[in-house]
Amino acid sequence: MSSAYKPMILELAHVCFAYPGNGPLIDNMSFSVGEGEFIGLLGANGSGKSTILKLGSGIMRPSSGSLMLWGKDLHSYKNKDRAKLISYLPQTLDINVPFTIKELVSMGMYPYDIPPSISAEEALSLVGLSDKAGAQITDLSGGERRRTFIAMTLVQGAGLLLLDEPLANLDIKYQIELLKLLRKIREEKNISVVMALHDINMALQFEKVILIKKGHVLGFGIPETVLSEEHIVNAFDVEVKIMRQPDGKAYISYDEPLRHERRRG
Amino acid sequence: MKTKFFFIIIAFLLAFASSLFLGPTFINPLALDDTTREILVNIRAPRIIVAALMGMALGASGAVLQGILRNPLADPYILGISSGASLAAALGIIGGLSIFGTFTVPVLAFAGALITGGIVGTMGWKRGGLWPERLLLAGVGISFLFSALLMLIMSISRDEGMRRAMLWIFGDLSMSDWERVPYGLSLILCGIAMSSSRAKALNALILGDDFAHSLGFTPQKERALLFVSVGLMTGASVSLGGMIGFIGLLVPHIVRFFIGADSRSLIPASALGGGALLCIADLLGRSLLSPMELPSGIVTAIIGSPYFLYLLRRKNVLSV
Repeated sequence: MSSAYKPMILELAHVCFAYPGNGPLIDNMSFSVGEGEFIGLLGANGSGKSTILKLGSGIMRPSSGSLMLWGKDLHSYKNKDRAKLISYLPQTLDINVPFTIKELVSMGMYPYDIPPSISAEEALSLVGLSDKAGAQITDLSGGERRRTFIAMTLVQGAGLLLLDEPLANLDIKYQIELLKLLRKIREEKNISVVMALHDINMALQFEKVILIKKGHVLGFGIPETVLSEEHIVNAFDVEVKIMRQPDGKAYISYDEPLRHERRRG
Repeated sequence: MKTKFFFIIIAFLLAFASSLFLGPTFINPLALDDTTREILVNIRAPRIIVAALMGMALGASGAVLQGILRNPLADPYILGISSGASLAAALGIIGGLSIFGTFTVPVLAFAGALITGGIVGTMGWKRGGLWPERLLLAGVGISFLFSALLMLIMSISRDEGMRRAMLWIFGDLSMSDWERVPYGLSLILCGIAMSSSRAKALNALILGDDFAHSLGFTPQKERALLFVSVGLMTGASVSLGGMIGFIGLLVPHIVRFFIGADSRSLIPASALGGGALLCIADLLGRSLLSPMELPSGIVTAIIGSPYFLYLLRRKNVLSV
């Protein structure tokens, strides 16, 4: 049985990117995203996470290398056709316009000439915001804003979500809520997600991680292999210990207990 | 939403009709004699139509500019686009240009608007994006410079006739006649139609270029198209009655408060709101201190600003 085979949605091969006159931001990067996969993209600040997501969504063009979407050159798609396959959400959602939630979610229909398979109402109910449809985005909490835009991508119907630090600035409760929501959506819609992260413990919860440093891939695969102490020291320049919970789940412990330092001071 | 839009249409029609028939002399459309018919047809009608068209152009331009620049302070006046259009038009008048016949002044104003927009945009552009503060400061700087050049041209111009011919540049509707109406109407309606047809892209641009791209638009192309529509409307408006501030800046904010932020309704509603406001301002300017006339620009600011400041006290008004 060829159950292990999953078609690749997005494939990056030897992708490089540099602004003219500057050193490479992304250097010879290759990885692929399969259907239904949840991938954490982990790296320190400035390691190139956002650049990768922007390259992957076609916002930026690579200086060299190839990006294939469903086996076809990403940049050969018409914008509207690509928008039905990939959706990118930037890190900051600082929208100070009094759009209503319903209006924003409905913008997911823009790439379509005929109404897409999922309506704004259904998407809102899936992310649990049905009662806020008429509210203005400016009145919503950070977590609700995220969910609003996730609902927009649902209406957009894209099978691949590229999310730039969606958990940043969210309380732990909303972080977990958002991850649960994305898992639920995957169950129902078989979407794939690539999510930029900088929390190592959060990355350990993913099925696959890409660990990057200065535009290089240090490791790509299951977190237990990729997130070795050696790799983490290399990527983040911190001393850590990988600990195991009784059930075998790994977590990171920092070598320098911060409490001691405080007592000393 | 549809009901609210309907109210804005009614308000526009009421403002237009009252400005047409009321004033220092009330004109009863049902009992016209030769004198009143002459006043209505050859003086009032072209003037009120010009006021309505200019207000529409400025209101819609403001709504578009605030969106494409993601800046609540953007409007053709503040960004120097109006003064660029005026300067180009004035230079054309002085130079006695008539290459495009009656279209010469509007074509020059359109070109001046686009060029100024280009200059201001270049100065506000840094590291692949528009920086709101840079852009506004560049616009204000250009606006001061061009206005000063305009005044310089006026003051060194010895020809009294020429001086008077250029007074309209500072927002004077009293010299409006039918001659300018056809091209003003066609250019402004064209600009409103053009920007309205890109309203979805404008909504996406308001969320940011990355969002717009993710939703299937090409941000730079859409911004350029929308900017050309602003150039058309501002250029036509300036060549009809000169520079009038306030409307482009504040009407979209006021209208947004009533009908929401969706550009698909905001652009036409801001056009109607701007038209209504300038009609009323012109009516008041003609009537309040009759027989003296107050320039419409002054009246719009006097009636509009306190209302805007009142709205500002309430949440969500000063946002793009």
